[in-house]
Amino acid sequence: MAKAIFWLSFALVAYVYVGYPALLWAWSRLRPRPVRRAAGVWEPTVSLILAVHNERETLARKIENCLALDYPADKLQVVVSLDGSTDGTAAVAEAGRLQYPGLTVVEGGHRGKAAAINRGVAAATGDVLVFCDARQRVDPDALRALLEDLSDPAVGAVTGELLLLDAADREAADGVGLYWRYEKALRAMESTVHSTLGVTGALYALRRELFVPLPERTILDDMMVPLRAVLAGRRTVFEPRARAYDAVCPPDQEFRRKLRTLVGNFQLLHVMPELLDPKRNPVFLQYVSHKLGRLLVPYALIALFASNLLLRDGFYLAFLGCQSLWYLLAAGGAVLSRRPAAPIEVLQEGECPR
Amino acid sequence: MKRLLFLPYTFVLMNWAAMKALYCFLGRRSLDSLWSESPAVAHGGRRS
Repeated sequence: MAKAIFWLSFALVAYVYVGYPALLWAWSRLRPRPVRRAAGVWEPTVSLILAVHNERETLARKIENCLALDYPADKLQVVVSLDGSTDGTAAVAEAGRLQYPGLTVVEGGHRGKAAAINRGVAAATGDVLVFCDARQRVDPDALRALLEDLSDPAVGAVTGELLLLDAADREAADGVGLYWRYEKALRAMESTVHSTLGVTGALYALRRELFVPLPERTILDDMMVPLRAVLAGRRTVFEPRARAYDAVCPPDQEFRRKLRTLVGNFQLLHVMPELLDPKRNPVFLQYVSHKLGRLLVPYALIALFASNLLLRDGFYLAFLGCQSLWYLLAAGGAVLSRRPAAPIEVLQEGECPR
Repeated sequence: MKRLLFLPYTFVLMNWAAMKALYCFLGRRSLDSLWSESPAVAHGGRRS
C-alpha cells in the first residue's frame, strides 16, 4: 500500500514538473503551430487600457511610457480607468488628459480591477484592446510586436513577456526569478502548440470583438480573457519581443501574489466549468496538466513524504534522504529570506490565518 | 548558495500557497467574501 501511494504521488509530481514540460517540448517540436503574420504592416486602431487604483507615484510615468510607444498617434488611444483612487491619482490622470489629447480618463467608484477594465473598454474606440498595469515599464516597440502576431486571423490574444529584474537590472535568476523563467518557458511552448493559458497583466492585446465584460469580482482577468478567446476558437500566443519590466519580489511577497492567483484559479473553475470539458476546451490537456496539476501537487508531496517514512530500505532510504535534504534547504531559504509576518492581502483579516 | 536555498524554498512556498488557496476557497461562507481584495495586489500585482 505504502509503495503504491509512494509511486502514484511520485508520478503526479514528476508528470507536472518534468513529464508535462517534456511532453510540451516534444509536442512543440513535432507539431508546432507558427503564427502566420500578415505580409505588410498592420496598423489597426488601438486602445490601450490602464485600470488603476492609487497609482499616483507611477501613473504619470506610465502615461508617458504608453504615449512613447512606436505607433501612429492618430491610431492610439490611451484610456485611464480610475478605480476610486484616494491618493490623488485622479489629479495625475486629469493633468495627463490636459497635456495629451490622445488620453481618455474614465472614473467610477472603487469596484475592483475587473469593473475598471469593463469601464475602460466601454470608453475604448480601438479595434484592438491592449491592457497594461501601471507599474511596469513597456518597451517602445512592444505594441508593434503584439500586433504582428495579432495580424494572424487565428490569433485572438497576444501576451507580452514580463521580465523580472534584480537590483542590478538583470533578469533575476534566483528563487522567484528562476521560478518565473520556468513558467515563461512553459508558456512559450504552450503558445507554440496552441495557446497559453494566461497572459501577463503587464501587457497583452486582444481583438475588440472577443472582449466580453468581466464579472465584477473576477480575480484572474488575465486568465479569463485569454481563455474566453480560446474557447471562442482563437489562439492566445506568447510574444517574447513585446517586453515589459518589473522588479523581482522577495519570496514572501510572491507568496501573497501566488496565493491570490491560486484562489483565482478556483474561482475560474467555478465560473468557467467548461474548461474541464475536453470537447469544448481546445487546451484541455494543458489546462489540466499545468493548472489543475499544480493544485494537486502539494497533497502528492505530503503523501510522497509520508509513504517514504514507511519505506526505509535501499532506494527508498536514499530517496527519503533526498527529500529531507530538499526540505532542509527550503528551511534554510526561509531563514535567509527573513519572512516578515505580514497579513495576507488577498483575504479578509481573520478568515485565513497564516 | 543563495539559489540552492531559494529554489527549494520557493517551491515549498508555492505549494503551500496552493494548499492555502484551497483552504481559503472552501472555507468561505459565501463566494462573495472571497473577492474582497487589496487594491495593490489586484492592480498590477499579478503575473498569472
